[in-house]
Amino acid sequence: MKKTMIVLALIAGTSLYGKTVDAYINQLAAEAKQQNSAFQGFSAQRGKDIYFSKHIGKRGKEVSCASCHTDNLRQGGENIFTGKKIKPLSPSVNPKRFTDVKKVKKWLRRNFKDVYKREGTAQEKGDVLLFMRSN
Amino acid sequence: MKTITYTLTLAAALLAGNMLYADDERYERGKPYMTETGKAATLYKTECGACHMAYQPEFLPKRSWKKMMQTLENHFKTDATLEKEEYATIQAYLLRNASDAKPVFGDIGKIGRKIPADQTPLRISETPYFKKEHREIPKRMILQKEVKSIANCAACHTKAEQGNYSEHTIFIPNYGKWDD
Ligand code: HEC
Ligand code: HEC
Ligand code: HEC
Repeated sequence: MKKTMIVLALIAGTSLYGKTVDAYINQLAAEAKQQNSAFQGFSAQRGKDIYFSKHIGKRGKEVSCASCHTDNLRQGGENIFTGKKIKPLSPSVNPKRFTDVKKVKKWLRRNFKDVYKREGTAQEKGDVLLFMRSN
Repeated sequence: MKTITYTLTLAAALLAGNMLYADDERYERGKPYMTETGKAATLYKTECGACHMAYQPEFLPKRSWKKMMQTLENHFKTDATLEKEEYATIQAYLLRNASDAKPVFGDIGKIGRKIPADQTPLRISETPYFKKEHREIPKRMILQKEVKSIANCAACHTKAEQGNYSEHTIFIPNYGKWDD
């Protein structure tokens, strides 16, 4: 009996966590649709381009998301400006990733500004999240 | 009578405090770094330690931290903006632990005390005592990929995160211990 309760609590716990990030993604989808009626859903392929494409960033240097998070999301990276190590982004090796909506929003805001010198659009954020979560 | 005792104790405490400030060689050497612990300190370490080591707030005066907190959207040309509640907690934490908010011992204290009153540095690494202590380090040791920047304190100061910068804890990558 006790065991089932714990298992149930765990399931509820994980789905709650999942739900918040998933709810955020649903919200992004609604916004994307509102901004562009032709929007058909997020694309991991477009997300991949957002992740790898290079831009002259806020610091005047050519950067992409991969500059700090590397070409392989299952690997750890390094902040190219400070040298501090960064743990892998891929949830398959780092299950803590994409579990905290506040954290996800904060870093998408900051990192888009650092690389693209502007905020990401709802569609861009959803695309890149889909790509990152499935790698 | 009671008031007199209070006044005397207070005067004695103030005197002792002043002596600590003045005579850093004798009183401060070897004193371990002790700072606030708790929720605000933990939040500070997570948020301000995400891109680099969380620098001890005791390094810089209140005016420096105030200015830094006002310019987080362009923090050394990167975006370090915070949510509202986090912002308030971290700002308060920095201000109550700043170099001029309390007596600060050891080498950390020296850095803060030697900042001229008319300056508001945002970099610890550009303060006078810091520059004096680091002027003999060859450029190549700083620019090498294991260090990258003089702001990467922990690359050479192996106990920097614990607030210990003493000479025998220094180990420079591809060079070793520092003997001068
Ligand atoms: C200058 C280095 C740098 C660049 C460039 C960069 N990031 Fe990051 N990113 C970080 C750091 C530092 C963190 C926070 C530390 C951590 O969580 O390990 C982070 C965290 C994240 C997170 C939070 C993940 C989670 O849930 O824990 C996401 C999402 C993210 N980055 C996406 C991106 C995207 C998308 C780009 C490109 C637009 C990008 N990053 C470019 C340094 C960078
Ligand atoms: C998004 C990344 C990021 C975040 C978050 C961040 N910083 Fe920084 N910080 C940097 C970069 C980049 C530098 C410049 C490093 C260099 O020149 O090597 C820097 C430099 C500094 C320096 C100067 C170091 C020196 O002495 O040269 C201080 C002090 C500092 N940050 C404090 C803070 C505080 C306080 C916070 C939290 C409110 C914070 N940082 C959050 C990226 C960040
Ligand atoms: C490239 C390696 C390197 C980096 C990076 C570095 N330091 Fe140092 N630091 C040294 C060396 C070497 C000394 C000793 C100088 C001496 O005593 O001749 C020193 C001395 C000091 C001292 C004085 C210690 C004493 O016992 O008198 C302090 C305080 C200090 N560093 C703080 C910092 C802080 C804070 C940072 C980051 C903002 C930093 N250092 C970054 C190498 C480094």
